[in-house]
Amino acid sequence: MANEPLFLNLDDEDPESIYQLFESRGWGDGLPLIAPTMERVDEALSHVQASPEEVLTVLPPRGGSATYRDVAVNSVLAGCKPEYFPVVVTAVKALGEQKINLRGVNTTTHPVAPLLVIHGRAVEEIGFNAGLGTFGPGNRANATVGRAIRLILLHIAGAIPGPGDASTQGQPSKYTYCIAENQEESPWESYPESLGVDSGSALTVHCGENPHNFHDMESKNIERILDKAASSMTTFGVNNACISGGEWFVILCPEHAATAFNQGWGRKDVSEYLFEKARMPAGEFRKQFELLAWADWMKSLSDREMVPMTQDVENIKVIVSGGAGKHSCVVPSWGMTRSVTLPIEI
Amino acid sequence: MNMKIHSPEGELLEEAVQLSSTTPLLSGGKIGVLDNGKPNANLLLTKVAEVLAERIDATVSLVTGKGERANAATACNPQVVGMLAEEVQLVLTGSAD
Repeated sequence: MANEPLFLNLDDEDPESIYQLFESRGWGDGLPLIAPTMERVDEALSHVQASPEEVLTVLPPRGGSATYRDVAVNSVLAGCKPEYFPVVVTAVKALGEQKINLRGVNTTTHPVAPLLVIHGRAVEEIGFNAGLGTFGPGNRANATVGRAIRLILLHIAGAIPGPGDASTQGQPSKYTYCIAENQEESPWESYPESLGVDSGSALTVHCGENPHNFHDMESKNIERILDKAASSMTTFGVNNACISGGEWFVILCPEHAATAFNQGWGRKDVSEYLFEKARMPAGEFRKQFELLAWADWMKSLSDREMVPMTQDVENIKVIVSGGAGKHSCVVPSWGMTRSVTLPIEI
Repeated sequence: MNMKIHSPEGELLEEAVQLSSTTPLLSGGKIGVLDNGKPNANLLLTKVAEVLAERIDATVSLVTGKGERANAATACNPQVVGMLAEEVQLVLTGSAD
């Protein structure tokens, strides 16, 4: 159990005061903050059945203990409404899973950020935007839940650019990175259901790059659309090019997903098509990289044989999100991390 | 009006890691190199180890990677840590990804 909460004194309620206090201590993400008063933090905590002092997980590299109270403090700072708190808690639990490899995610030179995807009832009940502009801006739930996670990584995990985060250039999604699955317009079962996660609401964390857009306004067959996705995936610039265990999240807009469905395709068919189509000759990889963290079967391929952008078709994940218009995207992972999907208790 | 707010940091549950005491005398000792998996790290670290060894009359007796399936972003294989602890008095490595 952690000790009693630590308090700070603010001279007044002027928003500039907390801004200055946090700046002086090297805290914050550079944007204005909501003061985490006792009343606001307690209101957030009232949305979970847990002791405020219970430790959810310990976050590297700093090794800070993330108690429910600490997580609530950062949720308030980010501007979350109290009812968002169970979602933030679930995201922190997911980040604590070993296969996320949070120490690596936080400290690498790569510009990786945790992408949160909200599924199920929580989307409507809490008010996430799964439709037009899901990546932002403009929706409080998407913006502040994603931001709360970044503040938790900065303050509790110590992922501060420089001492705790070596990312060479950073990336905009390190401010906030949260979308929602558009189940209403998806032709398929929900993503958590496809994984066997049986829950009314759930959350996925995938640690990756910013979205790589692909568009196709004119094709009437899904193969021609997915050829653009494959084109976005076949690049030497991503970590997944030299690390074969990486995952790819393919975020299809509803119209592209409908085209696939109308041809009788399931999400597995999409993954299998991209596994076969998003390939480059082994010799080209070998020209580009001296170190290839490849699966053994890939290492044995001749220079002329085609290598997929990941070693296993299961590493290509398909989610429907966004609104009208024919833009979709792929989100390549950092490479040495695996996504996690957990139920949300609301 | 003065107001109280919560600190956002959370406590450190793990004890801070302390550096081990400096080896008193390395003359005639053995130096190891643990390649952290980044490009050219082994070249740089081995060169530094060789310069150091020459200066203090020690030997570079073990140059190793982190072990099977480990890479720059993952922890060193415990067997490799054990091997280094057993065979050398000083290890040079890189700590970053």
